[in-house]
Amino acid sequence: MDTLEASQITPVLENKSIIMEKENNSPTSTKTVDIQVEQTTQVEQPQEENSAITPFLITHLSNQNLIPRDNFHKYCYRHNPDVTCNKLTDDIKMKDIQNRLERLPNRDQEAISHVWSIFNAAPVPQQKLILQGLLSQCCFPQLSFLSQEISSLIRIDFISALPQEISLKILCYLDCRSLCNAAQVSRKWKSLADDDRVWHHMCEQHIDRKCPNCGWGLPLMHMKRAREMQEDDDIRPIKRRHSEASAVKTAITAAKKEPAPTPPVIRKRPWKAVYSERYKLEKNWRKGIYTVKSFTGHTDGVTCLQFNRKYLMTGSYDTTIKIWKIETGECLKTLTGHTKGVRSLVFDNQKLITGGLDSTIKVWNYHTGECIATYRGHDDAVVSVDFSNKSIVSGSADHTVRIWHVDSRTCYTLRGHTDWVNCVKIHSASNTLFSASDDTTIRMWDMNTNQCLRVFGGASSNGHIAQVQCVIPFVYRQALVEDDPGSESEGETDLQHPPLLDSVQNDQPHEPLPANYPTHLLTSSLDNTIKLWDVQTGKCIRTQFGHIEGVWSINSDTFRIISGAHDRLIKVWDLQNGKCLHTFGNDSSVSCVGLSDSRFAAGLESGHVKMYFFD
Amino acid sequence: MSTPKVIIISSDDEKFPVEQKVAEKSILIKNMINDLNPDGLEEDFEIPTPNVRSNVLSKVLEWCEHHKNTVFADDEDEDVKKSLPVEEWDKNFLKVDQEMLYEIILAANYLNIKPLLESGCKMVAEMIKGKSPEELRRTFNIVSDFSPEEEAAIRRENEWAEDR
Repeated sequence: MDTLEASQITPVLENKSIIMEKENNSPTSTKTVDIQVEQTTQVEQPQEENSAITPFLITHLSNQNLIPRDNFHKYCYRHNPDVTCNKLTDDIKMKDIQNRLERLPNRDQEAISHVWSIFNAAPVPQQKLILQGLLSQCCFPQLSFLSQEISSLIRIDFISALPQEISLKILCYLDCRSLCNAAQVSRKWKSLADDDRVWHHMCEQHIDRKCPNCGWGLPLMHMKRAREMQEDDDIRPIKRRHSEASAVKTAITAAKKEPAPTPPVIRKRPWKAVYSERYKLEKNWRKGIYTVKSFTGHTDGVTCLQFNRKYLMTGSYDTTIKIWKIETGECLKTLTGHTKGVRSLVFDNQKLITGGLDSTIKVWNYHTGECIATYRGHDDAVVSVDFSNKSIVSGSADHTVRIWHVDSRTCYTLRGHTDWVNCVKIHSASNTLFSASDDTTIRMWDMNTNQCLRVFGGASSNGHIAQVQCVIPFVYRQALVEDDPGSESEGETDLQHPPLLDSVQNDQPHEPLPANYPTHLLTSSLDNTIKLWDVQTGKCIRTQFGHIEGVWSINSDTFRIISGAHDRLIKVWDLQNGKCLHTFGNDSSVSCVGLSDSRFAAGLESGHVKMYFFD
Repeated sequence: MSTPKVIIISSDDEKFPVEQKVAEKSILIKNMINDLNPDGLEEDFEIPTPNVRSNVLSKVLEWCEHHKNTVFADDEDEDVKKSLPVEEWDKNFLKVDQEMLYEIILAANYLNIKPLLESGCKMVAEMIKGKSPEELRRTFNIVSDFSPEEEAAIRRENEWAEDR
């Protein structure tokens, strides 16, 4: 019995796909004929149930030409033989229906399955008619049942069913967490959600820029870890972060232009791996997950530091410069030569330049440890040095800034500051120089003409009210969060106009600066604040409060600002919105800080140096 | 005589007469009209769309009608467009069952109506966003074809994105 009844229903449920699969050969004009056949049989033999059905079935099952005319309509999503997922869940439902059918008396079973057979055999337009007839007879509770059933029945695996390029487009709208969840759904989903094109797009959106959508930005990190598998860490000496960074950037933009260059030699890592590595790092920064390493050896306060991927260099009041291997924490070299404390250092692949309280600037070959040159000229301590190409600049306690052109052996003295010059920074792209002074101002100089182009400071610009210790010029093209001008004492700045337009008409008209100039400055001061300046207008547009004593040193990258202050605190700030993210306490005041994608370092007055690792 | 219409014919032979402006939201149709009528439309012009059923076509044309005066941004600003949420009208318009959404996306793709395709894709993306793998399977009626071991391995592989 069971097998007999089962065979009654199973073909019924499969019929549809049989019909749909058949090729269409003859015209559709037979439609009307079919209906007539149906009607006449019904009229002639109204009492016999089977006889009304059988001719209908015979006509339509044998008459396979009523299937839709083109491939697209050959199958709907449900009856498409390629879509397997649906069938699995449909199977469960069918078994359930079968079971319930079998509980009925034999005759009822037969009647019901005939209803289904008729529907199933009917050509599509008639199926619609049958449905409409049934629906018009339904009670509202039944219709309500239908609407519930239907919403669970019409479920489509979009990602698998749509053309691949559309599925990838959809996936490109997702955030990384949703993408990772999508990759766990099924094999098909995984292959699409892990697709390199999708993750390349994710990388474009987030690496080296803060995504306006989700507020996340991921560090560039260095080229080797960006895309190439093999690491040749030890061979290369020291590389500046800057050049590495721009290399990855080139890789990202280059990949954009030619989607899959696939050079045979270098195996590329998937973009998803590139993304996840950076994401983990950024998560550690945000959550404050880190390890600390201490570097001890200086016998007096540390005044300056810089580090790259392998080496950390520190200068101290103990007159020495120490070179540390970051990985092991050991001191590789101690450079001696300054007769008083070292106040400033800067290095690249080949050379190290230092400035000291002994009024001299020294150039070192730090690979050998020898001092190559000593520049004398300042009348007082050299508090700050920087260099670019063949120019060295220095800021001094004698109130001047000097530019030393190494090749031509000429030196220019820039006068204007009325107190110590604590910090000098070259902005190479525009060949300008920035200096921060105890006279509470910052000056921008043209290194071609040696002219002072702009002075940043004073009450009208909302400037610092104490000695400025540090200045960082940078370019930022996205929107930085600014203080509400209404809350400031100057008051009347029109909120509606962007500051760029404002400045042109305002009290101190400035010529618009060329595009290669830095757009912003960050400065720190003994007035306990960090300020953000608009270079074009010369005004301070944001003041960051939080330190309770003077801020000796700041450093920044695309995402963060780090600050060290006399209050013994190190703070990490979000560059874009100016909010303080983390505060780290120390046992002595912090005189200098350094920052990279994955770590920061702080030099303390106690002579200790600490490095915080977020990778 | 009144201005000539474009008559779009669905796969099931239903005719939809619309303004040329409305029809030309479809770049496919726009190109067809321009190619075959280099001097502009002089009389009603029939275009069959054998890939689009009448119920879907009427829905798509409803969208075209609503947006006939909308100027859409150029493709150039990919980034900007990506970050924008679906426009409110489109969102309501696309609150349809999955079958209809699926067919609208296919039709928009075939007829080359980029902004509609974009909105459709974003709607699907919204359906995916924030759901666990199990919820996704339920939403789209998918049965996992991973073995339990594979599933565990893939979960570990994707753990890094959790709880930001």
